[in-house]
This record gives sequence, structure tokens and C-alpha cells, in this order.
Amino acid sequence: MYLCDISDIVYENMKGGTGVEALVELFKNFPFLLLGAWETLKLTAFSVGIGLILGTFIGMGRLSKMKLINYPCTAYVEFLRGTPLLVQISLIYFGLPQLGIQLAPYPAAILALGMNSGAYIAEIVRAGIQSIPKGQYEAGRSLGLTHWQSMQHIILPQAFRNILPALGNEFITLTKDSSLASVIGVSELMRGGQFVISRTFQTFSIYFGIAFIYFIMTFVISRFVRYIERRMATA
Amino acid sequence: MTDLPIERNGKEITIKIENLIKRFGKLEVLKGLNLEVGKNETIVIIGPSGGGKSTLLRCINRLEEYQGGKIYLEGVDIEQCDANSLRTRIGMVFQQFNLFPHMTVLKNLTLAPIKVKKMPENEANEKAKELLGRVGLLDKIDAYPEQLSGGQKQRVAIARALMMDPEVMLFDEPTSALDPELVGEVLDVMKKLAESGMTMLVVSHEMGFARDVADRIVFISDGIVEEEGTPEEILKNPQKPRTKEFLRRILE
Repeated sequence: MYLCDISDIVYENMKGGTGVEALVELFKNFPFLLLGAWETLKLTAFSVGIGLILGTFIGMGRLSKMKLINYPCTAYVEFLRGTPLLVQISLIYFGLPQLGIQLAPYPAAILALGMNSGAYIAEIVRAGIQSIPKGQYEAGRSLGLTHWQSMQHIILPQAFRNILPALGNEFITLTKDSSLASVIGVSELMRGGQFVISRTFQTFSIYFGIAFIYFIMTFVISRFVRYIERRMATA
Repeated sequence: MTDLPIERNGKEITIKIENLIKRFGKLEVLKGLNLEVGKNETIVIIGPSGGGKSTLLRCINRLEEYQGGKIYLEGVDIEQCDANSLRTRIGMVFQQFNLFPHMTVLKNLTLAPIKVKKMPENEANEKAKELLGRVGLLDKIDAYPEQLSGGQKQRVAIARALMMDPEVMLFDEPTSALDPELVGEVLDVMKKLAESGMTMLVVSHEMGFARDVADRIVFISDGIVEEEGTPEEILKNPQKPRTKEFLRRILE
């Protein structure tokens, strides 16, 4: 009976709410959504950081001639690309406690997102390194630089310039995918929005507001990446 | 470890190559090659493509591993040396220049001395200026490689190799990627370097350079030294049919 009543109310609100009312609720709750957006940005930034570090090393590892390095890196990339992110997040947040590793929602989300994007970034980095002519590496080695010095000073800076557009894409994907962290209770934009909806029942206007904020964020990222691209092209 | 005499006929031997064998998979590129390079000597290596000239140079600074034979640098088996410190003693100039496009000319020159030899930056900068002066490109010190002509790039590459004070310089077809009118400026720099007493191994088909600058010309074909001698001997009076055939084709 109780459930029935609630759904009646929800239904009434969904069809009955006027356009003006929907907009008013959106504006009233917009600051709250922006707080969620700020959390989304932080979540994404941390994950990008982990993804970049993991991806750089795993990408280099995939090019290693040593099987002991190459095979695990390849396996990592294949496994994390071949399984859904939602499953990975659930595995880390709901699964690991059974093995005695309990993570709070926020670190669990950062770990899952970072590891996932690490796999994609590894592939980008690998392609980037392969795009640099072999002679660049040989010139470094012929001057007495070690493998790592050649990578650090000669190959990676040039590779980074080449893969910037692809990295930008990956950052945008990650920003959007971070919405999946809502399922384990991280109060980012998506979950914040759902919370607002549960209070106001304004499904369309609030979800639209969420979508709009995601769009603004990814749009700014894509412009920013393009700006860096252009600056590096002239450098 | 000095297991070889480093003198012969009173002349110091800088590099001695004994029975060098290099395979790429099943393909044998060097088939037991022997060569001695005296101190301060300039040797020009000629020969048909695929004969193993570049591979030989790349084995000497261990950019390629080899499967048989020995290479000695001043009497020491180079496989006993640390590869990185060996390479600081052997400068290499590539056909495609291989300048670092994301660095200025100055940074191209100073990167290795600062990182490998731990040279203080201002000392490295001074040395770079001096060497750029020697190759006539001091005014390009802040330029990026893409702003240079091919000849200028190669002169920068030579200066970059000299920054490490190498005992030997290897040139792998240094003028083959250049427009004809730019070849001269690079050869001039190499000629000056040879005159200053640098020990040089030059893979090149610039016969004028070979005639004027080389102490010896070495003809490599099919993975071995087919014939060697002074420019006079090789260019005017080659003995082996392959050498004759090759020279006839190249001088046509």
C-alpha cells in the first residue's frame, strides 16, 4: 500500500509538473549539482593521474623484448579492456572485502577508473612510442644515453606530442565514465543529481541539467587539449 | 684485458676487427670481416648496398649485436666494455641526421654531456658554442632542427657527436640524404675533422672526398673486405673484378 502511494505521487509529479516548476527546481538545485560536478572533476583528475602513470609504464612494458615484462603488461591491457568498467568497479568495491581488502567508495572508484584508463592509455602510449622513428632512439644510445634516459628525454616527449589528441579523447571518456562511480555511492555529479531527483521528482530537467554539466566539462577539456596541442606544435 | 698488441709497424691501432660475423635471422650480412684502423687514420668504406657497410659501423658501437668474431677498441674487446661508456668514446653520424626535433640546436648538443658525463650546464654550453663555431653554425644555436637545411642539420649532428670527445667517429652515409648543393659544406667539415687528426670511418660514395681525404679506401662486398688500399691504389688500379665493376658503375 505504502509503495503504491509513493509511486502515485511520483507519477503525479512526473506528468503534472509544469515546465516552469521544472526549471525552478533545476535552478534551485544547480549549485548542488555543481558541487557534484566538482567531485566528478576531482575523481577524474586523480584517475587520470593514476591512468597516466600506469599507462606510461605498461605501454613501455608492452614494447619490451623481455617476456617477463611484456606478457603481464599485455595481459593487463587485454583483461581491463575486455571487461566492463561497471564490473571492475563492483569487483573492487564489493568483491575485494571478501578477500579482506575494504576500500571506501571514493578510493575504490579512483582505483577502478585509474586502472581501467591505464589500460587504454597504455595502448595510446605504445602507439606513440612506435610512431617515433627508430633513429631517434639510436641517436640517443649512440651518444651514451641509457635506455631510460633516451626514453625520458628523447622518445617520450616526442611521443607525448603525437598522442595528445588521443589522450584528450581518453580524458573525455574518463570524465563521462566516472558517472559509474555513482553505483558505489560516490557523491559525484550523477549521484548528486539522482539525489536531487529523489527529492524533487523532476526527472527530465535534472537529468538534462546533469547532461549539460557533463557536456560543459568535456567541451572545456577538449578545447584545453587543443590549445596545448597548438602550443606544443609551435614550440 | 689488453690481449692484443695495439701497435703494428710502429703505428697505433685504434680499432681491430677480427673475423666479424653478423646475422639477421638466417641472413648472414657480415661473413668473417677483418679490418684494422690506425690511430688518426681516415678510412672511407665503399661497396654495393646490402654488402654490410652500415652494419659494420653499427656493430662497432654496439647498436647491433654480432654473432661471431671480435672487435677491439685500443686493445680491449668491446664486449667487455660497458656499452654506454663505449658509445661515449665512439661518435656516430647518421644518414638521416637524427637530430632531436623537440630541442633547440644547443639542447641537442648539451643533452648527452650533461646527462651522461655530468658536465655542468654552463661548461656544456661553452663547449657547444665552440663546436658550433667550428662547423660554422653559431648563429643557429637557438634554432630548432626543422628550421635548418639538410646540410646544416648534418653539421649540427657532427658537432653533437663531437661534444662527447670521441676517440673515433663513424659516419654512416652522411651525405646521401642531402640535396647535391648541400653535400660540399658537410664534406668540408669532415675534411677539417680528418685533418685535425680524428680517427674516422666513413661509409660514403663521395669519390672526391675519398680521393682527397681518405688514408685508405676499403671496399666491402658480400660481408667481407674484398679489397683495400690507398685511394691511389683502389681508384686508379683496382685488382679484384668486383672492385673494378663497382667503381666502373659508380664513376660512370
